[in-house]
This record gives sequence, structure tokens and C-alpha cells, in this order.
Amino acid sequence: MPSKEDLKRLASEIIDSKAENLISIAQTILKNPEPGFRELKTAKLVAEQFGALGLQPRSGLAVTGVRADASGSTPGPTMAVLGELDSLIVGDHPHADPVTNAAHACGHHCQIAMMLGAASALTNSDILQSLAGRIAFMAVPAEEYIEIEYRDGLRRDGKIEFLGGKPEMVRLGEFDDVHLAMMLHTTSNPAEQQICISNTNNGSVAKRIQFIGRAAHAGGAPHLGINALNAAMMAMTAINFNRETFRDEDSIRVHPIITKGGEAVSAVPADVRMETFVRGRSLEALMDANTKVDRALRAGAMAVGADVTIQTIPGYMPLQQHKGMAEIFRANAADLVGEDNVSYVNHRGGSTDMGDISHLMPVIHPYIGGAVGLGHGATYVIEDYSLAVIKGAKALAYTVIDLLGDNASHGNSIVGGQRPDMTISEYLRFMRNLASEETFKSA
Amino acid sequence: MTTSKLSIDELKKRACETIDKRKKEIIEVAQQILANPEAGFREIKTAQIVEQKFQELGIPHQSGLALTGLKGQISGGAGSGPSVAVIGELDSLVVTEHPHADPSTGAAHACGHHCQIGMMLGATMGILTPEVISQLSGQIVPFAVPAEEFIEVEQRLELRNQGKVEFLGGKQELIRLGEFDDVDIAMMCHTASDMGERKFAMGGTSNGHVVKFVRYTGVGAHAGSLPHRGVNALNAASFAIQAINSMRETHKSDDTVRIHGIMTRGGSAVSAVPSDVRLEWRVRSATPTAVVENSTAVDRCFRAGALAVGAQVNITTIPGYLPMRHDTKLQDIFRRTAVDLLGEQATLVMPARRNRGGSTDMGDLSHIMPACHPYTAGAVGPGHSKDYVVTDYEAAVITPAKIMAMVVIDLLAEGAKRAKEVKANHRPLLSKQSYIKFQRDRAEVVEFDGAG
Repeated sequence: MPSKEDLKRLASEIIDSKAENLISIAQTILKNPEPGFRELKTAKLVAEQFGALGLQPRSGLAVTGVRADASGSTPGPTMAVLGELDSLIVGDHPHADPVTNAAHACGHHCQIAMMLGAASALTNSDILQSLAGRIAFMAVPAEEYIEIEYRDGLRRDGKIEFLGGKPEMVRLGEFDDVHLAMMLHTTSNPAEQQICISNTNNGSVAKRIQFIGRAAHAGGAPHLGINALNAAMMAMTAINFNRETFRDEDSIRVHPIITKGGEAVSAVPADVRMETFVRGRSLEALMDANTKVDRALRAGAMAVGADVTIQTIPGYMPLQQHKGMAEIFRANAADLVGEDNVSYVNHRGGSTDMGDISHLMPVIHPYIGGAVGLGHGATYVIEDYSLAVIKGAKALAYTVIDLLGDNASHGNSIVGGQRPDMTISEYLRFMRNLASEETFKSA
Repeated sequence: MTTSKLSIDELKKRACETIDKRKKEIIEVAQQILANPEAGFREIKTAQIVEQKFQELGIPHQSGLALTGLKGQISGGAGSGPSVAVIGELDSLVVTEHPHADPSTGAAHACGHHCQIGMMLGATMGILTPEVISQLSGQIVPFAVPAEEFIEVEQRLELRNQGKVEFLGGKQELIRLGEFDDVDIAMMCHTASDMGERKFAMGGTSNGHVVKFVRYTGVGAHAGSLPHRGVNALNAASFAIQAINSMRETHKSDDTVRIHGIMTRGGSAVSAVPSDVRLEWRVRSATPTAVVENSTAVDRCFRAGALAVGAQVNITTIPGYLPMRHDTKLQDIFRRTAVDLLGEQATLVMPARRNRGGSTDMGDLSHIMPACHPYTAGAVGPGHSKDYVVTDYEAAVITPAKIMAMVVIDLLAEGAKRAKEVKANHRPLLSKQSYIKFQRDRAEVVEFDGAG
């Protein structure tokens, strides 16, 4: 039986031999950006690549997801290696699609390539026969929580229930047989160096809000009107009045936008719409902030005698990474880029649906460099593909080898050692309870 | 019994001569009160000054009415007839920066009430001229009334809790106590600083209002280390004030809406999340209906403040004043008298709809009997500010004393013919009973838990 070190060396050679192809896959996806639940071309490419590796992919999961499994020689845990299919929408990004404005301003195209790179190594029969359990390679849709109106339409049409790709994959049972999950995200933050071991991310809920007032001639009869825009302004003021009650360590973020602010300047605005996220580091803190935001929205309506409809849409759960898995990944990262080029960050304020998976099983979601610019902005591009894709693929492959090699002794001890926060059915119940719509009438 | 009855003009002339003769003494009373300002229901020294004058003038009187009020009774020598009250207000404001402010209490006569007492006594002296009083039929009631300025709400609520008053305005309370039951016609005159070339003005109207005492209760906590455990009552109140401001575009211009207030407690220590914040607020509008509408909207804003941060709010609504409705016949007597004394150019009659924006409990009295509340020149500076001072005591005290004495003579001479006409012509908007019921109905306490 070859040692883990032998297996990693072999994996490294395989990935190096395919480096040009892997980088070109990333760049093909970069040139064909597709936002969540629309990743048709990207999914097709992934399925083809899985096929080329001799895997039997299943496509169309949660609209566009693709999964292909590779089994080791003996029974053991199933470990998912994830790559995210979707792009953002950033019209002025240099690689934006001129028609849809979709653009990979968050590096997901590299995730797909590094997952395929890991797959090409791990499906090598010498390696696979030395592993226990199973590897589930998953190309997952719709991590970026955008185009809420479009996705809500899919939901109303019965095509999805949840608006994020991984929650939807969970609902469809694609994680029922998975015990461990891992993905690797690009970063442009120089402070995070070449590879960054992170710990937690904020969870989130999304809200669609409509303030309903009464239109009236703003000059002739303002006393007959009820100003829904004033209700929205007051609601934002109320949210701000609550900020001092948010604890630093909870990293609460509430950041609304007004998507409709009135019909005509000569009329008292009667229909004003707002969208917001509420984010927080723990579920408890997130739910506390969510309650305060709902109350603030009602207070805005009450301030002027308007009504408000608040639709709460489950967002993503806070991410918590498994320390043991993170340590294994860190050691591999140090081998690949050198101890001095590995950084640590405790908390990031953004949200990812990997947080949802982290409530169900041990996961890691570290970061790899290679990008420059501001995440989600027009300047975010990959400069160093050999870091972002090739070293990323190796880090993933090495970590699988560590977890599933040696008869999956590490993998088994991690799976056996952690009771998940929620079962899948508890998770689904929680998400469904969170989805709500209320109308508050201040009269 | 004089054999030759004097003409009305001659009676007025004699009364004015008396007032002119005692001018120095009358103005000194006003200035003595200016030097001893006392806010409503606390007018102890002021009441003593009035009492001393009543005694000197030999006027039978009651004192301690509605805590500090004094009511004189003078009978005309020509038989019975209606009773006419000449009112002066005892109370000062609280304006600590006023040049005549009491250094310990901050009380100051920044609304000229000290002149009212002077003119009320001056008019009384004129009427008491023997050849005048002997020819009047009916009663003259010189009436020093407390607490016209609706301030120090929390302290007055305490008086209410102690059972010392029910209503927080002086005339309201005197009406409740029945002290206006034997009065048929009421008049007073207020100083003004915005008269331009005019010396005397009448007409127009004033705002009705309700008064609110609002108390937000949050949860105190260390503002540095445990702000997440606190509920900030100051933020609740701030939100409510912003909500009130966001409603201003809905006020009808015709309603002369004035919604304003002060924060009497905004927290106890800057290092703690404020948990006890108190407001005194006022909702004024031109009509009682608009007062109720706007009061309801303001209550909603106060509740929204509690909801915004999850605090509790207690809103005590206190019956305020009714809009002034001048009796047209009585006002016309005032107008003719002022024109006689000062000339047409110096006399201004404002249209009935002209609303000065302020409020007075003379409005309450005007709902149950013929009343008039004209203005006299003599002051400068914005009312209720540190700059409001009386610079012309002749205009502020002597002129209105003469005009009121002459109006009383007009009313009660010749067998009180004109007083009877005024009375007969007047249709009160409310009976005393319906007035008291209306005001009691406006008193309410609303509790709202924004965290519930």
C-alpha cells in the first residue's frame, strides 16, 4: 500500500500534467459567466469533464447542479468536494457577458477547475484504490444570493424551494449520503496571503419589504396621503437606532436598498419597496437581529400610519468550520505554499451556503489567493491561475487523501467525533419556518 | 342718590381720570409682579399683592381659588344686572435667560401677565370711582386667575395626583369649581409685541390643544460593555420625534397645526443606556376635531418610537385649551371703545379666521359665555422668549385698563342694557356640564409595550 505521501506526489504529478487544460477550463467558464440557476453551459462543461474522467455524472440537480461519485476500494465515509457554478452580475467587469452582464467577480470559475483538477487526480486508479469510502464531486448552482425576484419566480413555479444552490441540493437529498464536505474559495485580500485558513462566516436572511401608503397630490392634498417613502426612511432610522445593541462579536450586518421609491415626484409615494439582508455570526444573534429589523420595519409603517408587508426568505446559515479538517488542510497548504504564506482569519462578514452544510456535517471552506481587486466588484480578476487553480486542486486532493487514505482513519474519527448541529430534517424544518410573510397594518 | 345722571361718555371720562390719577400706583403693581415672577399654581406672592390691593380698595373677595386665584365682588349702585368679570392672569413663564427671571426658579414674565394684573386693578379703580359705580347695574368681578401658561406638566400632574387640581389650566379649573357659574360675561386683555403702528387689536382666534406627558421606559445597561442588554429609551423618543416630523406634510394649512415639545429627562448618566426618558408635548390645531385627529397621529408616533427599539411608553393625554371664540357684540363694544380712545388708525380688527397659533384657556371660557380677549401694544420681542419685555407701560397697562373700564361701563350703565343684549345674543357653544364632560373625555392614559 503506497503511503499518503506517495499518493500526494502522484496526485501532484497528475494535476501538473493537466495544468494547461485545467486553467483553460477556468478561463472558458470565465468567458461564459452564468448567474445562479442559469448555469447551463457551465454545467454541460462540467458533465463532459466528469465523463472524460470515466465518471457517471448526474445532471440537472437543483436545476443545474452536477454530481459524480468515485468510490474507494473499501467502505468508509463519503466526502464531498464542491465547486460553485454561478457567476455574479457586474456589468462593468472586464469579463462580463455583454448581454446579461453576468461576470465571474468572485472566482467561482476557478473553483470548478480546481475541483476537476482534484477529480482528475483522485480518480486515478492507484490513488482511488488506496482510499476508503467515496468522493462525491459536486458542481453546485447558485451560491451568490442575487436575482431574488427571478429565483422567487422559480420558487413559485415549483422548480426550486430554496433560493440558494446548496440548501436546494440538501432538500433534494443530495447530501443525505455525504459525511464530510470541502471547498476552496479564491481571495483577493493580500493580507490573507496565498492560502487562508478561515473559521466562521455570517449567516443571513433576505427580506423583501413593501410599504403601502396612500397616494395623493403632493401639492394639493398631502393631508390625504400616507407617505410610504417616509415609512421606509423611518424604518431605516429605526434599524439604525438598534445598531448599538448589536454585539461586535456577532458581526451583525443590515444593509437595505430601496428598489422602488415612488411613482412620480408630484404624488405622495404609496408603494415603496425595499430589500435587505440581515447577517450575523451565530444563528441566535442572527435571529435576534432579524426580530429587531422586523420590529423596526413595523415602526416605520406605524410612524406614518402606513402598512408594511415583510417577506422573510431564508438566506444562509452561519458557517462554522471543523477544526480537525482545517488543521489537515492547513498542513497540506503549508506543504504547497510554505508555512509563511499561510494566513489565518477568524471571521468573515459575508455569507455562503456552505454555512448550511456546516450545520449538517463537518466542513471546511478555506481561501486561496491568486485574485486581485475588490470581491463582487469590477476589479476582481484572477491574476495567478497556477495558484488559484493548480495549487488549489492539489490542496483539495491532498486533503481527501489525508481523510480517506489509511482506511479513512482521520475521516472516520472526524465523522464520529462531531454531532451535527441539525439533522437534515431539522434543517429543512428550520428553513421552512423561517420563510414567512406578514402584513402589519398600523391603523 | 345723585339727581343728575351722568351720560355714559361722562362716566367713562371720570373712570379714565381716576386711572390717570393712579397711573403710577397701577404701573408699580405691574412692575412689582414683574420682579416676583411665579409660574402657574405657584403664584403665592403675586396673589398676596393682588389681595393687598383688593383690601386697600375695599373689595370683598375670595382667595385660594384653584390654589392661588382671587375673585372680587363689586355690586353696582344702580340695582341688579349681569355679572362681568375683568380677568388678569397671575402666572409667569419659565425663561431662565430672561432679564427679569427669578434666579432661583427661572420664572419670568415673558408674556406680559404682570401687566394684566396691573390693568385689571386699574380698570377696577376706574369703575370704583363713586359717581361711576353708583350708576352701574349688576356685578363687577375683578378676577386674578392662576396658571394660564400650560407648562411644568409633570409637576402639575403631581398636583392632580394629590387631588389639588383636576384640570391643569387655571380657568379650566375655576370653571370646574363653579367660580364662573355666577359670571355672565368675561373679558381680559393681553399684551402683544407684534402690533406695528397699532395700539389695540381684537378678533382672530387661537389654537385648541391637548398636552401630553410621555414617559419611555427602556432597560438601563452599561453603555460601553453591555449595550446589547439595554433598551435605549432616548432612541425611542428620538424616533418618535422624527416620526412626528415625518407627518408634518400631512397637516392642513387651514388647521394651523403646531406640534412641539420638550424633553424633560433624557437619561441619567452618559455611561448608561437611557432607560427613563420623559417628554412634555403639545398638539395644537385650529379646531377641536383637528386637535383630536392630530393627537391620535402623535400618539401613533409615540407608540412607533417604542416599537422601533422595543421600549415601553406611557402617554398621558391632558385636556388642553379650546380655540378662542370672541363674542362679536362684546368685541364690537371693545372696537368702538378703542376707536374712541385711540382712533381708527390705532385699532385693528382681525378677521375671525386669523389664528395667532397660540392657545389660551380664555378659549375655554369663550365656549361657555360671551368673552373677549383683545391685545394691547407695549411689549417688544418674541413672546415666550428672553427678549419679550414691556417697554411702554402706558400702552401695556393704562390704555387697556381704561378700555376695559369703559367697556364695563358700556355694558352695565343704563340698567345694564348692553350687557343684557350681549347675554341674550350669545349662544354658548357648550354648557358648563358639556364642557367638563368634553374635557374629561380627552384625559386618557395609553400604555404600549413595543417589545410585546
